[in-house]
Amino acid sequence: MLMFVLRRLGASLLLVLGTTIVAFLLTSVLPGDALTARLGERAAANAELVAKLRAELGLDRPIWEQFFIYLGGLVRGDLGLSLQSNRPVTEDLAQFGPASAELALMATVIALVVGGGLGIVAALRNNTWIDNVLRAFSLGGVSVPLFWFALVATSIFSTTLRWFPSSGRLDAGVAAPPHVTGFFTIDALLAGDLPLFGQAFEHLILPALVLSAPMVGLLMRFTRASVLDVVGQEYVRAAEAKGLAPRTVVFGHVLRGALVPVITIVGTAFASLLAGTVLVEQIFAWPGIGSYAYRSATTLDLSAIVGVTIFVALVYIVVNFVTDVLYGAIDPRIRRA
Amino acid sequence: MKSSTRIGGLVALATGVALVAVGCSAPAEESPDSPDTLVIDKSFDLVTADPARMFETTGGIVLHAVYDSLLTFADGNAEEPLPSVAESWEVNDDATVYTFNLRDGIVFSDGSPLTSDDVVFSLDRVKNIQGNGSFLMAGLSVEAPDEDTVVITSEAPNTAVPAILTSATLGIVNKDVVEENGGTDAEDAIDTDTAEEYLNSASAGSGPYTIESFDTTTEVVLVANPEYWGEAPEYDRVVIRNATAETQLQDIQSGTAHVALDLGSDQLGALEGNDEIITSTSSSPTIFFLFANANVDVSDVTATDDFREAMKYGLDRDALLELAGDGASVAYGIIPNTYLGALGEDAAVERDVDRASAAVARLGGDVTVSLEYPNDISVAGINFGPVAERIAAQLAEVGITVELAPGPVATTLENYRNGTEEMGLWLWNPDYPDSADYLAFGPGEIVGLRAGWAEGSDPALESVMDQVSTETDAATRETLYQDFQKLENEASVIVPLFQPAATVVATTAVGQVDFDPVFQLDIAAIGK
Repeated sequence: MLMFVLRRLGASLLLVLGTTIVAFLLTSVLPGDALTARLGERAAANAELVAKLRAELGLDRPIWEQFFIYLGGLVRGDLGLSLQSNRPVTEDLAQFGPASAELALMATVIALVVGGGLGIVAALRNNTWIDNVLRAFSLGGVSVPLFWFALVATSIFSTTLRWFPSSGRLDAGVAAPPHVTGFFTIDALLAGDLPLFGQAFEHLILPALVLSAPMVGLLMRFTRASVLDVVGQEYVRAAEAKGLAPRTVVFGHVLRGALVPVITIVGTAFASLLAGTVLVEQIFAWPGIGSYAYRSATTLDLSAIVGVTIFVALVYIVVNFVTDVLYGAIDPRIRRA
Repeated sequence: MKSSTRIGGLVALATGVALVAVGCSAPAEESPDSPDTLVIDKSFDLVTADPARMFETTGGIVLHAVYDSLLTFADGNAEEPLPSVAESWEVNDDATVYTFNLRDGIVFSDGSPLTSDDVVFSLDRVKNIQGNGSFLMAGLSVEAPDEDTVVITSEAPNTAVPAILTSATLGIVNKDVVEENGGTDAEDAIDTDTAEEYLNSASAGSGPYTIESFDTTTEVVLVANPEYWGEAPEYDRVVIRNATAETQLQDIQSGTAHVALDLGSDQLGALEGNDEIITSTSSSPTIFFLFANANVDVSDVTATDDFREAMKYGLDRDALLELAGDGASVAYGIIPNTYLGALGEDAAVERDVDRASAAVARLGGDVTVSLEYPNDISVAGINFGPVAERIAAQLAEVGITVELAPGPVATTLENYRNGTEEMGLWLWNPDYPDSADYLAFGPGEIVGLRAGWAEGSDPALESVMDQVSTETDAATRETLYQDFQKLENEASVIVPLFQPAATVVATTAVGQVDFDPVFQLDIAAIGK
């Protein structure tokens, strides 16, 4: 087991290194740089000033030298300075990462509860009208463009019904709860501020619902197929033949077997939701990693781009690792292997 | 089946938790109705709250509300600077020495008095930090002969000094507070001044508001300054939030914002008939322009007189104006229509396809050029893409094939600033509200050089530029600015296209909010 963990850890480090190299080189070979983009018209015409700033930021050095300097910083946990925010990238990630993680986690929970639940219902009502309706519903969830769904959702629930706010993590001008996890809902609870928790939750629901839409459809189809696959297995038939109650068969045998592949997809779903929140964050003015990544890319903010890339790579690595562990916990065959 | 009932129960439980949680907070629509809090949506380009380092649109809006300058503009006027910290001023005959008499009784937000030392410190700090706005102090030196007087001396005659001094970048900071927090106005301030971090979390000004919180990515919260010397602002608390145009539309429709600043024609169309919304449209000082590079090393096509003639007469400016939305206007010259010396309709260039085609024929028939422009920014809801496409279509009709070369601003900006674009489509926002700012479009100047237009290329035009730079008589200056633009139009290296409309949308709870041609938005004036 220890060797397994060490091998995985080594592979993960190589993955991070490879990701860093690719992100760094791809960004570096593009024409222009963040410094040029940030300077005003008149300041950019001041050659002496530009040269001074480029030297200070190390932008006048060869790419390979810049890369090794960056790697040196990376080893020390220093991801460099973001030219767009004028802060260390680690500080930016600490601020924006939890915002996206909270959103992605909520979306995953919604997708798991709604998509997983409806998938089970569809499988247990296989080839009935309920199954057909739910399959059509899941197809819609997967097919509908996210931006369209977002606009419709805000139009109905924010503009018309005014049930949910249309933007931000909290109402305008409301101070964030004291930082513990960076999840406003959790931090508000930890601070014992229930109204603030409610407000944070209220702001979270609509973007999370929109973000979860494609995953709901996908999870529904996947869960349905997985449950149907397990229902036909001999051990399930044996359980039924023993005269066990249907509920016991479903929850004690069917779901346990069907959950293994579902966990895989939920894990990767969370990671991909976290990495793919750009559109939803833009529409809902959600100050997360997606918006940060977008700004970084459009301003060629090298340190921020590489920082976000490493962050996302780490999320995938951690999620894969957790998924593997959960695999073992759920399926004894994997644990013994 | 019981299992599905159980799953249904779980879903119901989750929904119940959500509803209970939501029930704990105030309803979404309550916040904007709060009489003391004004919520403004703006697409942020915010970098810093340090006046000496700030030179961005959003920063200008925020800091104009926090820091007073020596002079100011008000009520949408961009022609005559008004007293602010300086109660009155005098200028010598050749516009080189300006003497400002400071107003009595002005105190900073901490209650300490504002003196001429603070003014000298603030302006010298801007100069020596060498930030994006330090060019405003180029050629100027500041002295304080006594506590109530400031003298600004210009190396050369400069009639634009009063207009320049209205900039939020030149806002007066509390010298003692800034120095206590690492600030300096010394010549090496670019390396030694460390006050930015403090100024990003607090304010050290005498304006109508102080900074409660400042985040360059999410929101800025301002609260009324109880020590303010002027008329108190209507709103005690102002929240300026970062939002895209689409989100601004949602927010203004749902009532979660009172003012939206970046709605384009698409979004404005969605608000038609909404009786809870007041829209105010006026002319923006932004100029969209096209250039053909005059440097033969960059292009031996665009550097010719024939190409420039073909471009000049091949363009249909009225058709381009259609893309700029209601309220936009054709730019007859490079100076916006609100500034001294702006050209009128009599300077319009009518499209002449035959003349343009003849010029192309003299070039040997079909010519192909590339047109670069940024494709990831929009101003007043106008994207460069459709404008570039229409230009290409118009020039195709006279025999010029325009290959479109869009790119993110971060990459296209470099070619533009290096003067290597064959043709470019860009815009210019005024650095300060004075026609002198537009001399940048002449040969050898910043924008001129980007169009490959070197110093000495057009002696007649450059002679006019020299004259107007030192002319102190307003009437003569007006004539010279007009001559400058007529000669620019004749040369047609740079072709002004249009001024977009500027639209501010507000809810009826706030009332009409007008675009400010200098600061874009005067927060302290809202509701008055």
